[in-house]
Amino acid sequence: MVPLLARTLVLLVIGAAVGLSANAVRRDGVSLRRYSPPASCEGPKGGPAVQVLPPEQAVRLCGDAGVLVADARPPQRFAEGHVADAVHLPCAAPNAEASSVVSALARKHTLIVYGDTTEEARPVAEDLRRRIGRADLKVVVLEGGFPAWSKAGLACSSGPCRECTEHR
Amino acid sequence: MKPAVRWALRLGLGGLFLVTGVLKLRDPAGFATAVANYQLFPALAALLAATLPAVEIVAGLALIAAPGPWRRAAALAIALLMAVFTAAAGSAVARHIDISCGCFGVDSGRIDALTIVRDLVLLAAALGLVVIDRDAGPDADR
Repeated sequence: MVPLLARTLVLLVIGAAVGLSANAVRRDGVSLRRYSPPASCEGPKGGPAVQVLPPEQAVRLCGDAGVLVADARPPQRFAEGHVADAVHLPCAAPNAEASSVVSALARKHTLIVYGDTTEEARPVAEDLRRRIGRADLKVVVLEGGFPAWSKAGLACSSGPCRECTEHR
Repeated sequence: MKPAVRWALRLGLGGLFLVTGVLKLRDPAGFATAVANYQLFPALAALLAATLPAVEIVAGLALIAAPGPWRRAAALAIALLMAVFTAAAGSAVARHIDISCGCFGVDSGRIDALTIVRDLVLLAAALGLVVIDRDAGPDADR
């Protein structure tokens, strides 16, 4: 048993040494000292990172009373059509502490944010997650935004934002 | 077990690790990102990206071409790697993290339940080789 483990360790060490040597001489090798993980997946202090989920996976979270869906698009785009039961996130932007969205999040474990694209919603989701600062709140960005949701034929509705007071 | 079956297992598993190691070597930075995206040990992403591909290649080569005792050690090394890969994939699925598995380099598919099943099959095959070669003794390849 011991020789087996010793040989296994030798193989692993040889492999690691070869890998480190090859990485050192390669022009496109990874910098072991200066490498920093991609910002979009970095886990900031105070909670897990924002996750990106395709509509087909995100829809499984809908219907859960602990999930809040938030629309980060302009009011007009929201009024033209939005995910069923979604609240309009821009109405939370001026004062996160007083917004109905943030208040509603007190009873939620997951926030799904979407825009017209993934990248439109990501900074909004990141900012909200930082401001709320709850480690137990999972923040999810809908991949592809509302167009991907609609294209997938998932539930959506239209009309003005019931939660917002700023643009009534 | 028939020598032909043992050789098929060795060639299949060893060849697979050779291929996956080479694919990961093609884009070190991309593979480092794939490792970091697991959000398990982001500080170790660069070190793992630099070493894992070569470890896979060495283990794969040893499983195919090394003398008997070293082949068994290679099978155990692959089993250990597969145990780690399976745990990482399971962790990502449990946390609903939607990422590429990085199993075949940067162009790998997304992690899902099938990834875990595939990893478990490979883990079982590697452990099977460890046991088979023990039962067959040092002359297993003859």
